Amino acid sequence: MQVKKILLLTVSLGLLSTFPTQASDSIPGTSGKVMLYSPYTRISVAPGATITYNIDLINKTKHSVNLPIRIVGLSSVWRHEMKAGGWSINQLAVLPGEKESFNLTVNVPLKVNKGSYRFGVRAGQTYLPLTLTITQKGTYQTELSTEQPNMQGNSKSDFRFNVKLKNQTADKQLYSLVSDAPIGWNVTFNVKGSQATSAQVEANAEENISVKMTPPANIEAGTYNIPVSASTGSTSAKLNLQVVVTGTFDMELTTPDGRLSNKITAGSKKKIELVIENTGSSLLNNIKLNSEKPEGWEITFDPQQVNILKAGEKTTVIATVKASRKAIPGDYIAKFEANTPEVNATAEFRIAVETSLLWGWVGVLIIVIVIGGVYYLFRKYGRR
Amino acid sequence: MNNTISPFWVIVNKEIADHLKSWRFLILLFILLLTCMGSLYSALHGFKTPIKSEDPNNAFFFLKLFTVSDGSLPSFAIFISFLGPLLGIGLGFDLINTEQNKGTLSRLLSQPIHRDCIINAKFLAALSVISILFFALSFLVMGFGLLYIGIPPTASEFWRVVFFDLVSILYVAFWLNLSILFSVCFTQPATSALSSIAIWLFFSIFYPMIIHLVAHATSPSEMATPHEIYHFQEFIMSLLQLSPSELFNEATTTLLMPSVRSLGPLTMQQVQGAIPGPLPLGQSILVAWPQLTGLIAATVICFALSYFLFMRREVRSR
Repeated sequence: MQVKKILLLTVSLGLLSTFPTQASDSIPGTSGKVMLYSPYTRISVAPGATITYNIDLINKTKHSVNLPIRIVGLSSVWRHEMKAGGWSINQLAVLPGEKESFNLTVNVPLKVNKGSYRFGVRAGQTYLPLTLTITQKGTYQTELSTEQPNMQGNSKSDFRFNVKLKNQTADKQLYSLVSDAPIGWNVTFNVKGSQATSAQVEANAEENISVKMTPPANIEAGTYNIPVSASTGSTSAKLNLQVVVTGTFDMELTTPDGRLSNKITAGSKKKIELVIENTGSSLLNNIKLNSEKPEGWEITFDPQQVNILKAGEKTTVIATVKASRKAIPGDYIAKFEANTPEVNATAEFRIAVETSLLWGWVGVLIIVIVIGGVYYLFRKYGRR
Repeated sequence: MNNTISPFWVIVNKEIADHLKSWRFLILLFILLLTCMGSLYSALHGFKTPIKSEDPNNAFFFLKLFTVSDGSLPSFAIFISFLGPLLGIGLGFDLINTEQNKGTLSRLLSQPIHRDCIINAKFLAALSVISILFFALSFLVMGFGLLYIGIPPTASEFWRVVFFDLVSILYVAFWLNLSILFSVCFTQPATSALSSIAIWLFFSIFYPMIIHLVAHATSPSEMATPHEIYHFQEFIMSLLQLSPSELFNEATTTLLMPSVRSLGPLTMQQVQGAIPGPLPLGQSILVAWPQLTGLIAATVICFALSYFLFMRREVRSR
């Protein structure tokens, strides 16, 4: 860059040799009386900044002057423009003893090295040297960043990352947002409140993107690295997000066919098959079986305790229900519970009690005896 | 014998014809029809009040035709329990003694028929009239109800109504047998009618009052244990169940309200964990089975007694 600047200087010096024809407009020897003035000749700026110089062209001669104005020593990457009175200018005329102002706007490119850059404004033979100090090294790229690239949660939770997409190029960019998640993960990007697969960012602007990650249902505990990227044809940025999934404890208690109702005769026993399923992602230890039952009922389990149940596995337990002898016919609720220190599962059973037929038969017996008596009367007194 | 009808059925046919032609039957029929229409009106009027959603009997909407009333008139089931006995007594109180007083009994007995044919046939004839009447009435109520509410009964509701009819017939058969018994005992029809009606009035009006008195006198103190209260309730219930109308009411309540799960007092242990819900028909019958057994036994015993007395009776021509 420095080399380039020197080159530009020599070119402008070369141009100088062709100037005499134009310089002749000003009166020779009085050129010292035409001067350029700007108060801020050394400015420190950051890459990407825009500086506006207010420059005066002062004519102290006794003639009006009409001078071409050019910028010397500024690379074309540094976009610049001179304006006065709302017009873009490159020549300025000044009455004797007066001054004219014009503005010089310089856009510092983003991709620029740290250091001092010298350039100047030349009007005829007058030269105004200007210096810009770039305080930091500029970039010409996209930046994807987050304050918190790591999150922890169980397999049932969602993970939301807030990602900042910074467009540090000179142009407006339309980024496509892509994640490279393992199979089963669901990754969505939210831009400006709505779900999106691409985001448009103005030059030198930034956009907040929320990335939501939903792990698959049966994920194992562990650390998962999920890279997300924003890319266009010319520029791209990548960010590694890390999700730590802790194991979940989940258990289900049901019957083999899912039916949670049964019939029982008052005072009798009934065996009910129960299935315990570990639906979490961790090992379950010491599953104890309990029951909440109507008074006078007895519920026992075989086995009473399941020692180990691996993730995703099932086991069968036989519950023996003994209804109270005094239970009235109709529906009762009995609750089966499987407890571990980590998680509980319950199954509510609707048990329809039926009256024992014993007393029904006693009633039938009474009726039969009475009818038998009548039959005896018929035989004895029927006079047949 | 094969071509001719047996004398038993001849008497049955004749008796049915006699019943249907008699003014007494027409009056009873008129009263029953009136009450049936009245209770139907009151039930349909009662339907206009909003249904409470937590009532487990809502699934048996059709049965409410027989149990619901708007308060102006009793429901159909209560009418039957009150007027049914009157029908039984009306048909039975003079079956034997009138024939005897008129002298037709000895003439009948001189025919080549068995003596027990007469009493059996008279009982069966009266019972068939009652059965036809009750089925006709309940189907009439069902038909009008169907017209008005437009919801057909489910199979279970239909069978519950049929069983309700059977229980009603059984109940009226008890009163019929009782009045036949009195008509065998007493030579004057007025005496037998009065004594039957006295028993009917006693059980439907005075008996509950007496029980109330007894309950008041023997009620346990406020400090009594739940156990004592439970036994007291059981005692009062067993006293009440001596009355056939109470047996009939309990049986019909169980049949027409499927949510009734028990008829006796309940302990907290029995209720705990129970959830309200309708019973299947078979279970409802089992709940009411002791009551039904009592009714059947009382009916059959009355019949056996009147049979025994009639067969031992000396019948002479005048």
